[in-house]
Amino acid sequence: MYEASVVTDQLLTVGEKLSEFTKAVTTKASIAQTPKELIWTLNKAKLYRYIPVVPKEERHPVPLLLVFALMNRPYILDLKPGHSFVEFMVKSGYDLYLLDWGAPGPEDKNLKFDDYALDYLPRAIRKLKAVSGSEEFSMLGWCIGAIITTLYAALRPNDGLRNLVLLTAPLDFSNKDGITFSRWVDERYFDVEKVLAAFGNMPGEMIDYGAKALKPVENYVGNYLKLWDNLDNPQVVDAWQAMNTWVTDNVPLAGGAFRQLVVDLYRNDRLMRGEWVIRGERVDLSRIRAKLLTVIAEGDHITPPCQSAAIMSKVSSKDKELFRIPGGHIGIMAGSGAGKRTWPHIEGWLASRSK
Amino acid sequence: MSDKQAANGKEFDPAETFREMRDTYLDAWAKTMVDTVNTDAYAKASGMMLNNYLSTSSPFREAVEKVMLQALQQFSMPSRADVVSVAERTVNIEVRLDDMDAKLDRIQNVLTKLASTGRSPAARPAAKPAARRARKKGAK
Repeated sequence: MYEASVVTDQLLTVGEKLSEFTKAVTTKASIAQTPKELIWTLNKAKLYRYIPVVPKEERHPVPLLLVFALMNRPYILDLKPGHSFVEFMVKSGYDLYLLDWGAPGPEDKNLKFDDYALDYLPRAIRKLKAVSGSEEFSMLGWCIGAIITTLYAALRPNDGLRNLVLLTAPLDFSNKDGITFSRWVDERYFDVEKVLAAFGNMPGEMIDYGAKALKPVENYVGNYLKLWDNLDNPQVVDAWQAMNTWVTDNVPLAGGAFRQLVVDLYRNDRLMRGEWVIRGERVDLSRIRAKLLTVIAEGDHITPPCQSAAIMSKVSSKDKELFRIPGGHIGIMAGSGAGKRTWPHIEGWLASRSK
Repeated sequence: MSDKQAANGKEFDPAETFREMRDTYLDAWAKTMVDTVNTDAYAKASGMMLNNYLSTSSPFREAVEKVMLQALQQFSMPSRADVVSVAERTVNIEVRLDDMDAKLDRIQNVLTKLASTGRSPAARPAAKPAARRARKKGAK
């Protein structure tokens, strides 16, 4: 009788835990809550301006534009109140703007890096200048967003870009053995044309699978065990939910841009070799003169550190810094230690250069 | 072990040992898998699987698209290609609107600068009627 009740109690406990677990996994967290206004749109792209909380006279005069990757939602930069890079920068006195590329539809399958770097981004920057009243601006590009901002900085060096921050930037594809994606998209194994003929755009689910398959045990098993073990810790559950909401919100990558990523970059390393031609213009990294901060995540498996360091010797910027930080591709900006290490460093670097 | 934990003020948790074993096993498994996925063999295998999937699904996908197109035509409804075409034209219109927005911003800037330098833009059109008169005279 006693033993039976122990077993029943245990089953009940497991059942309750399981329902909490299911709830945590299936519930979407409230994310991206920092107040903002929409100031510009073009096709799926949207430019937001965050409502300043610091009086104008105390704000940095040079506005900051955040440019995130094409295949994920940019609200990772504004994950949740109390743990948001956006909130941190707005409170630090920046006139802050965010470019959200949106999700490409079938009509956007031919969009290329050319369009993002020389059409969408310059138009968004024009609007930023009109709204902020400043001819100079800073730009922070993360992951694929760093490729686009680098292209812009090299192709339009006289457009007023004062400071460029590159986060986990995949720019150098020369080390084939050190980059797992390079192996996967090798032309012997991966038929990019066949994939794009079938789907038009690269489906978000496939990109998500690719990113998770780099560390399959952590992503498919360890991640859920971490939640299971911490179900009684609301802080951990909240953080897990917010991150899970972002991770499962996938965006396709425009077919034309995906083809360039595979053929021009992963296979042929055309950017670093100085052979990448964007809308008829060769991308010459030595034309970049903006002050440069490159942030490398030491434990990054998506953009290994070897991909981001080489740009330092290619640019003409006199003021440049390479900042290495322990952590992963997303963890350095959205992990629990980001607010103590990465954000203050970026803010401090920009503050002294935004006067 | 339990004495030590009791001394620390913590209850003995039999599941802790299991968790430690589990985590040790997972760590080893994770390292093996990271090494495995970063091999040519894995790249070749995953590439082949994707290729096979695309090859086998392609005829079905094409057949479904054909049937769907015919059905939409029967119901006088726009096809996917029609909708895509309209969307592309809408984007072109948006681009033109953005160009006009840029021009208006430039005009506004010029007017603001003129106003701030005291040269009222209202005073400038006075020259235009004179020019028109001059043209008329020339025509005669």
